[in-house]
Amino acid sequence: MLKQSFRYDQTAARLEIDGLPDFSANHGTNAIGILSSWRLTMIGGPEMEGQRDHLEALMAAVIPYARLQLSGVGKVQGNDNGPVRILPTEQGHQLELISSRSGVPPLTLELDDADLADLVRCLDALRSDARVCINWPPIVHLPLPKRELAERTPLRQRLAAPILGAGTFMVLGLAGLFVPIPTPEAPSQEDNQSDAQETVISNPSQATGER
Amino acid sequence: MSDVTVPAVLQPSQPEAVLGRRALERLDLLLLTVESLDLNGGEAMLWATQQLGFETVFPNRVELWKRRCHNPLRRSTRRGSLSAVETEALIRILCAMADRLYPMLRQLLSSREPDNLSRERWGLLDQRLRNLIEERMNLRRGAIQRLLDGEQARNLQRQLVLTLALAAGPGGVDRLRASLLDPNP
Repeated sequence: MLKQSFRYDQTAARLEIDGLPDFSANHGTNAIGILSSWRLTMIGGPEMEGQRDHLEALMAAVIPYARLQLSGVGKVQGNDNGPVRILPTEQGHQLELISSRSGVPPLTLELDDADLADLVRCLDALRSDARVCINWPPIVHLPLPKRELAERTPLRQRLAAPILGAGTFMVLGLAGLFVPIPTPEAPSQEDNQSDAQETVISNPSQATGER
Repeated sequence: MSDVTVPAVLQPSQPEAVLGRRALERLDLLLLTVESLDLNGGEAMLWATQQLGFETVFPNRVELWKRRCHNPLRRSTRRGSLSAVETEALIRILCAMADRLYPMLRQLLSSREPDNLSRERWGLLDQRLRNLIEERMNLRRGAIQRLLDGEQARNLQRQLVLTLALAAGPGGVDRLRASLLDPNP
């Protein structure tokens, strides 16, 4: 009777959680403080279910993946050995769920952009639901380092500017080698003699005194 | 139910965000996309401003428009940058608008929609966005020319719509803010 079930619906996704209020933490009867199970149904895909740690792994993979998508970066999220992974594909996105039970093959779901947005909204709704009194692991979104952003630009495009710059520098350097260097002419003897006869007057007042 | 935890997703990671030039361009383009999806977008934005309690930041449509004019790609652009409060307000307004338009964004992104319908929807968005861009933006700028150029325009428009879909609602505020603060590559 105390068991609570909450549902978060979007067009292509439905997330349901079951649990109990934690009376030791003064939760009301209409709250979930202890999560017993969850189920995720994506349209056209099989139902997924699991325990709290699986749901946390799903959040930890999908929400940062959505953040990367906002920056135009498609990068695998989730550990190789973890229960959930999400990666970009040509058609959209692929969500992989690896069961902790032995003999159960991994579940793979193909998502398009709309499905991904629905899934993210379901998870956001769950995390911000005041009736769910569970301390979810924090997910902090930070600006990406330049290196990760550079990877979204094709290699050819990234290398074009430095190659063009280096090429121009080399061409100009080679052209510079063919420009003749002007050689200073050696002063003649007559010039040397006339220079020696001239008295140098540095102070104009000395010059008037001589007159 | 006294012990209610505050969800981490709603805690702003960088509330003192001041946007750079590229981010200002992107934020204004996202607002422009909202306007092209919603014919009454200008009014809806003003309504969202009041609903979210940002009347002191943007008391009227002129003030809202003046802040958007910090986009360097605009025909009549303003110098300087937005304050942290103005930036936060614009991001939250955008996320609220995206939340309101989410069903439309979803339809555009879904691969399960009939092809002809999808094509017409994208065509309509393309036409409205082009009209708004031609009306308000400096058409001599390369970034604007890319937004009007066939194949490149389609990819950029899809990226704008996907951004709005993933930033919709209160959960999207942090994601969008972080992505706007990305350094220029």
